[in-house]
Amino acid sequence: MTVSLKPGPVTTAIGALTAVFLLMPLLAVIPVSFTPKRYLSLPKGEWSLRHYEALWDKPEWGDSVLLSLQIGVTAAVLATLLATAFCLGFWMLRPKAGGLLAGIALLPMLAPPVVSALTLYSFLQAITPWNSWVVYDGWLGVVVAHTVMVVPYAVVILMVALSQVDRKIDLSARSMGANLWTRIHAVILPNIRFGILSAFMLSFILSWDEIGVTLFITSVKAITLPRRMWMGLRDNVDPTVAALSVLLIVLVTLVILGRLVWEHSQKAE
Amino acid sequence: MNKHFQQDQVLLLKEKLESGALSRRGFMQGLALLGGTSALGLSAGSLHAADKDMVFVNWGGDAIEAMAAAFGDGFSEKTGVKVLYDGSGPLEGSIKAQAESGSPTWDLVDCDPFSGQALGKQGFMRPIDWNIVDESKIRDGFKWEYAASSYFYSYVIAYDATKYDTPPASMADFFDAEKFPGKRAMYKWGAGMWEAALMADGVAPEDLYPLDLERAHAKIAGFKDNIGAFWGGGAESQSLLLNGDVSMALIWNTRASLLHKDTDGEIAMTWAQGIVAPGSTGVLMNNPVGEKAAMEYIAHSQDPESQVKLFELLGNGPANPAADALVPEESKFFNPTDPANFAQQTPLDMAWYEENYGSALDAYLGVISA
Amino acid sequence: MSRLFTLAPLMLFLGLAYLIPLAGIMLQSVTTPEFGMQNYSQALGDPLVWSVIRRTLRICLSVTAIAVVLAYALTLLWLNGSRGMRVFVELAIMIPFWLSVLSRTFGWLSLLSNRGLINTWLQSIGVISEPLTLIRNEFGVILGMVHFLIPFAVFPLASAMRDVDTRVVLAARGMGASRLRIFWQIFVPMTKSGIIGAALLVFVFSLGFYIVPTLLGGGRSVMVAELIYLRIFQIPNWGLAAALSALIMLSIGAFLVALIKRTEGTMK
Repeated sequence: MTVSLKPGPVTTAIGALTAVFLLMPLLAVIPVSFTPKRYLSLPKGEWSLRHYEALWDKPEWGDSVLLSLQIGVTAAVLATLLATAFCLGFWMLRPKAGGLLAGIALLPMLAPPVVSALTLYSFLQAITPWNSWVVYDGWLGVVVAHTVMVVPYAVVILMVALSQVDRKIDLSARSMGANLWTRIHAVILPNIRFGILSAFMLSFILSWDEIGVTLFITSVKAITLPRRMWMGLRDNVDPTVAALSVLLIVLVTLVILGRLVWEHSQKAE
Repeated sequence: MNKHFQQDQVLLLKEKLESGALSRRGFMQGLALLGGTSALGLSAGSLHAADKDMVFVNWGGDAIEAMAAAFGDGFSEKTGVKVLYDGSGPLEGSIKAQAESGSPTWDLVDCDPFSGQALGKQGFMRPIDWNIVDESKIRDGFKWEYAASSYFYSYVIAYDATKYDTPPASMADFFDAEKFPGKRAMYKWGAGMWEAALMADGVAPEDLYPLDLERAHAKIAGFKDNIGAFWGGGAESQSLLLNGDVSMALIWNTRASLLHKDTDGEIAMTWAQGIVAPGSTGVLMNNPVGEKAAMEYIAHSQDPESQVKLFELLGNGPANPAADALVPEESKFFNPTDPANFAQQTPLDMAWYEENYGSALDAYLGVISA
Repeated sequence: MSRLFTLAPLMLFLGLAYLIPLAGIMLQSVTTPEFGMQNYSQALGDPLVWSVIRRTLRICLSVTAIAVVLAYALTLLWLNGSRGMRVFVELAIMIPFWLSVLSRTFGWLSLLSNRGLINTWLQSIGVISEPLTLIRNEFGVILGMVHFLIPFAVFPLASAMRDVDTRVVLAARGMGASRLRIFWQIFVPMTKSGIIGAALLVFVFSLGFYIVPTLLGGGRSVMVAELIYLRIFQIPNWGLAAALSALIMLSIGAFLVALIKRTEGTMK
C-alpha cells in the first residue's frame, strides 16, 4: 500500500484548501477561550486564563468528560461488535430478505433524530421499572440509546469495507475446506481491519457529540459533556466550552505528532 | 455529583458576592445552607438522588443558578426537600412525553401558561391548589387553572443607539426602514411578532385580539427584505445586535437590559408598545414528590423578596405585584412589570394562544421561510 | 443455520430497543386524533410541508455533492500526499471532531458576521466598503453543514481507497495511460463503494440537522428535521409528526434499499 497514485496539482490544491477550511474556525475558537468575559466573545486587549482554571476548579466538567468517554467507548465497542457480526453475516450469506434486514439496521439513521429521541425515551421509560442498570437518566441507558443511534453508521462503513474484499479469496479458502471461523478470522477480518477501526472511531465520535437524544433521556444525573455544554445555550454559551475544545485539540495534535515521531524513529532503526 | 454541585454553588455564591449581586449576609446564609443540605444526609458522590429530591425543569443557563438562589435554596432550608434544577427545557412535547408515561421523573416545569392549560385539559397537569398557592399574590388577569403565574418577560425594541439620532418610539417605527434604516431581527416562533406587526399597521393595542393573522402576515411579508434574521434563542438575539448583523430587533427584555448594561447604552431598549408575556409554573400529574410539596414550592416562590432576587439575577419581572415596590430605584427601569413600564405594554392573550398558536405558527413559518 | 447468529444480535437489539417503541409512536399517525389516514392526507396537502421538503432536498443535495468532492480530494491527499501534507491533512480531519458544534458555530459567527474578522479585514484593505452578508442566509447554512460533514465523509472514502488494488493502477500506468485517465477510468470506479457510502452518510446525516441551519441560516431556512421537531416538541401534534416522519423514512429507505441492491448487483 505504498505509492498508489500521487495526487496531481489540482487534487493537491483542492485538498489543501479543504484542510485550511476545516481548520478555519480555530482562528476564532482559540482566542475566544482566552476571553476575560463570562460569555463567548473575542478578547479585546485583555487575555485571561479563567476558563482554563474553571475546567480545573469545577470538577463537574471533568466528571462529564469521563462520563462521555465511558459512554462513548462502551457504545462504540457494542456498535462495532454488533455491526461487524451483522455485516459479515450479510456479506457471506447474502440473505434473501437482505433489503429488509439492511433497512432495519439503517433505520435509526433514517428516522428524524427527534423521533428517535422520543422512541428511545419511551423504551427507557418502559424498562426502567424492570432493572436497575439500563435506566432513564443512567449511564447504561445512555449507552444503549447511543448504540442504537450510531450502529447504522458503523454498518455503512463496514459494508463499504467488505465491498472491497475480493470474494474469490473467500471462495478459495472455502473450497480448501476452511471452516466458517477460519474464513472470518484468517481471511476476511484482516482485509477489513481499517474498516473496523474506522467504524469504531466514527461510533465513538458520534456518541461523544450526541445531544439530540441525550437531552431527552437524561435529567439531573447522567450529564454528558455535550449536555453540560448545551445547558447554557439559552442564555450564554460558557467559554469553558472553547477552553475545553482547545485542550482536546492540543491533545489530539500531540497524539498525531507523537505517532509520527514514533513511526519515524521506527523507520530510522 | 452532589459534592460537586455544592462546590459549584459555593463558587457561584462567591462570584455573585464579588460581582455585587449578593450581599455579604446573603452569602453567609447561602454557605450555611449548603452546609445544611449535606447534613441532611445527601452523601457526597452518590449518584442517586435522595427520596425527597424535587426536580424542577427550566430552560437552563443562568436560570439554573438564579432559580436555585432565589427559590430552591430557601425552600430546602424550610422543608428539607432539595430542589434539583434540570435545564433541558420543558417543551410542551417533552412534558407530554413525561406525563403520558404515567410515572414522570419531573415534578415542576417552567412553562408557558397556554401550554400548561392545554396539557392540563388533557389530564397531564395537576390543577393549582389555591388553598396552598396564594391567589392574592398574583396579578389580576393572570390566573389559570393549571399554571401558576411565576414571572413576566417582554418583547421589546432594542436598537443600535449609535445609528439613530431619534430613538424608535413605536412598532410603526420598527417597521419603517426609511425613517430608521438598517436590518431588523424578529422572533422565529411568532409569539409577540403578530402583535407588533398589527400595532405597526395601526391596530390599537386594546383591539388586537383576536389577532388578524392575515393582516399581520401581510405586514411582515411586505417588510421581509429588511429582516436580517429570525432568532430562536436569547443568546442568538444578543449576538445579532452585538455583531452588527442587525441594527434593531424585537427581543426579550432580559436580553435587552443585558445589552443595555454591557454596552453602556450603545445598544438601548424602549418599553414603548412592548408586549409583555407571563411565565408560569406547572405541576405534572403523578409527579414523584407528590402534589403537596410541589404546591408548597410554588407558594414559597411567591415571596416578593425572592422574586426581586430573581429579577436582579435574571431580569424577569415579579409575578407578585407587591414585589415591584421592593425593586431598587436604579433597577426599576429594567423591570417589565414596573407600573411605568407595564402601562406602555400589551399583555399576550393566553386564551388566544392556547386556541390558535399551532396553526398561527405554521402560517408564520410559511411566510418567513418563503 | 448457525450462521444466522451473525445477523441475529443486531436485529434482536434493534428490534427490542428501537423497533417496538418506534412502532408505538408511528402507530399514532393512524390513530391520533382518530383512526384513519387523515394525518397523511394533511401532511401531503400542506404547502408548508412541500416548501420545506423542497428546501431540504436542495440544501442537503448541494451539501452532499460539495462535501463528498472536497472529502475525496482530502482523502487522496491524506493517504498519498507528501509526508508533511499527510500530517497537516490528518490534523485538519481530526481536529474539527473535538470542536463542539457550539464553539465552531461561534467561530463561524465571529469570522463571517458583519463585524466579523473577514469583513473587518476586507474593509480595512479597501476591497469592500459595506460589509458582505456571508451568513444568516442559505450560504451560511451550507457552509456550516459542509464543514461539519467533510470529516465524516472521509471515513468511508479512506476505507475504500485503502483497499484499492494498487497493482491495477500500476499496471495501467505501465501501459502508458495518462494520469487523468487512470484517475477517472480506473481509480474513481474502484472507489465507487466508498463514494456511495460517503454520499449516503453525508446526505442522511444532513437530513437530520436542525441546529446548524438555525444558527447560521438566520432562522429562515426551516428544514424537515426542524419541522418535525416543531410538531413533536414545540406544538405537539404527534399524529401529524409521525405521519410526516413515516413518509420521509419510507422514501429514503426505499431509495437506499434500491441503491444497495444495485451496488450489490454490480459488485459480484
